[in-house]
Amino acid sequence: MADSPKTPKAPSTLPFDFVPQEPETAVANNPHAKATTQVADVVDALKAHFDQSVRDLVVYAGEHTVLVDREAIVEVCRFLSEEKGFSYLADLGGIDRFTEEERYEVFYNLVNIEGGKRIRITIRVEEDTMTAPTVTGIFPAANWNERECYDMFGITFDGHPDMRRMYMPEDFEYHPLRKEFPLLGVPGSLPLPPQSPTGELTGDPFPAAHGHKPPKSFQEVKSEEDND
Amino acid sequence: MSSISQTDWSETLKFWPRHNEALYKRLETKHSWLETSGDGAPADPLEHEMVLNIGPQHPATHGVLRCVVKLDGETIERSVLDIGYLHRGIEKIAENKTYQEFMPYTDRMDYLQPYANNVAWCLAVEKLAAIEVPERAQWIRMMMSELARISAHLIWMGVGLMDAGAVSVFLWTFQYREDIYAIFDEVAGARLTVSHSRIGGVATDVNETGIGLIKDFTDRFPEAVESWEKLLNRNRIWIDRNVGIGQMSADDVVRMGLTGPNLRGSGVAHDIRRFEPYLKYDEVDFIIPIRTEGDALARYFVRLEEMKESVKIIRQCLEKLKTVKGPVRTDDAKRAYPNKDEVYYSMEGLIHDFMYTDTGVAPPKGAATYHAIEAAKGELGFYLQSDGTGYPWRARMNSPSFTNLQGLEHLLEGAHMGDMVILIGTVDPVLGEADK
Repeated sequence: MADSPKTPKAPSTLPFDFVPQEPETAVANNPHAKATTQVADVVDALKAHFDQSVRDLVVYAGEHTVLVDREAIVEVCRFLSEEKGFSYLADLGGIDRFTEEERYEVFYNLVNIEGGKRIRITIRVEEDTMTAPTVTGIFPAANWNERECYDMFGITFDGHPDMRRMYMPEDFEYHPLRKEFPLLGVPGSLPLPPQSPTGELTGDPFPAAHGHKPPKSFQEVKSEEDND
Repeated sequence: MSSISQTDWSETLKFWPRHNEALYKRLETKHSWLETSGDGAPADPLEHEMVLNIGPQHPATHGVLRCVVKLDGETIERSVLDIGYLHRGIEKIAENKTYQEFMPYTDRMDYLQPYANNVAWCLAVEKLAAIEVPERAQWIRMMMSELARISAHLIWMGVGLMDAGAVSVFLWTFQYREDIYAIFDEVAGARLTVSHSRIGGVATDVNETGIGLIKDFTDRFPEAVESWEKLLNRNRIWIDRNVGIGQMSADDVVRMGLTGPNLRGSGVAHDIRRFEPYLKYDEVDFIIPIRTEGDALARYFVRLEEMKESVKIIRQCLEKLKTVKGPVRTDDAKRAYPNKDEVYYSMEGLIHDFMYTDTGVAPPKGAATYHAIEAAKGELGFYLQSDGTGYPWRARMNSPSFTNLQGLEHLLEGAHMGDMVILIGTVDPVLGEADK
């Protein structure tokens, strides 16, 4: 190391600190940056059209992430879809920003197929309300993604036509992608298949570890049919 | 002994009662019954409403897909798809693994084309951490991803034809898939779960035997596709089973967010390889097959053409690999695994290897990127967020099968029951990927 330990590098030059960049340098610094994410003009149009609602803009690796007000998301999506050609919803999902204010985030990955552009819009959802407006009216493709978001984070979408869980059964009471949900799961939260053909449903995912030993086939009591 | 084993679950548990209740509520009916006419004779079952559960373990559902349909005679009036039977919480797992550690899990997502999943994950991480990949590694990745696309389409074709009643095609396509297994075995060291791509490059270079196998495959495969075309393109049964089935207009597929061949079969020219070229796709010559009819037959033609185009790309990659020499992994110990020679014969190499396994690459805090590739099923993307550690804060997976299945729910409504397996085949879902 050329630098002496007494004069540490400025934090902005260290690679593990994130510094918002200008779009041009962000592209130059990233070998995988794409031309499609260069949407400065769309962001300007958004700012002009939704003056108050656009709260923040972050550029990293040439990708624009626009943070807008939760209440404005439907109008923003309609504007982008109808005026700017972003009619294809590529992805929608939730993010848990555990320990931060406005804990949850929902992102919308929109694509303009003809124009060859891609933009990401995000909204923030507070922990005590846990609701966001649905965009299924503009993008029917958001239907399952919003259901998945509800399943994994517990964010309900107002006006969604079918707010059921996507992967987990309705009987499940937790939201697995929240940061406080343990990786091992919650034992006893779901009935599991029986351990033996004639057994009962169980709530324990690790029965052998808890002393339960299902009988081996040679130990099973013979039925009357076998005795014939 | 914990309290769990002492609880008597048999009294309290029923198997997911609320889940089924919600499904039937969505279907707006639960029971199927037959009314008897006035004279006591049973009514014709084909003239009455009926609820049918298909799956999750029906062989024609291409995995653990459960379709609950309300039938009016032979017509599907309403359909509800129930997925999640293969849900492993792969996004949660990713949050608890280092970036490199998670890569083998991607093999198990779309298990018909593991190589492309590896590449998708590595590219996403490389974009997040701004890691440059040597040129030779990019050509190898591209060539193997196209082989993976062919192998995935081969399964679609074999299984799709089997759904329509032709078992022999499955055997023919599997012969060529077996050849691709042999190539993967030679190049990556594993037949199916290859895990060959590494962050910053690939694990090993392709040797002469591997190149020979791939060359041999590209020589033989186009003839095979032609022979299948001779059998199928004018085949009365195959055409009649597919033409006009599962029709979707260009507007509809965009609104429903379908991706991949399902999108291009309806005349929407959207392919990530052209839309935002990754690897070296902007340097090879190939076309994106498009059909405008939007039915099952159009999607069949699109996939068949795609296989031929993939062969074209593989040939160009082989040509390039002759001249493009050099390392296959980036030479930066903080960003990629060091060479094995270094690990075995130098102390620094061993330390770097240990550190990379322990901590791995640590992208800047707060960075978030999305990188997508065109997998055989469509747009496969990863949205990654970093908190500055070696573990992703959020790893979101945009899986094409999930998006396409959503469209299937709409395709089924109004279709005939007999066309159902054809429709599932034409959408080509893989539940390992859709269920995450």
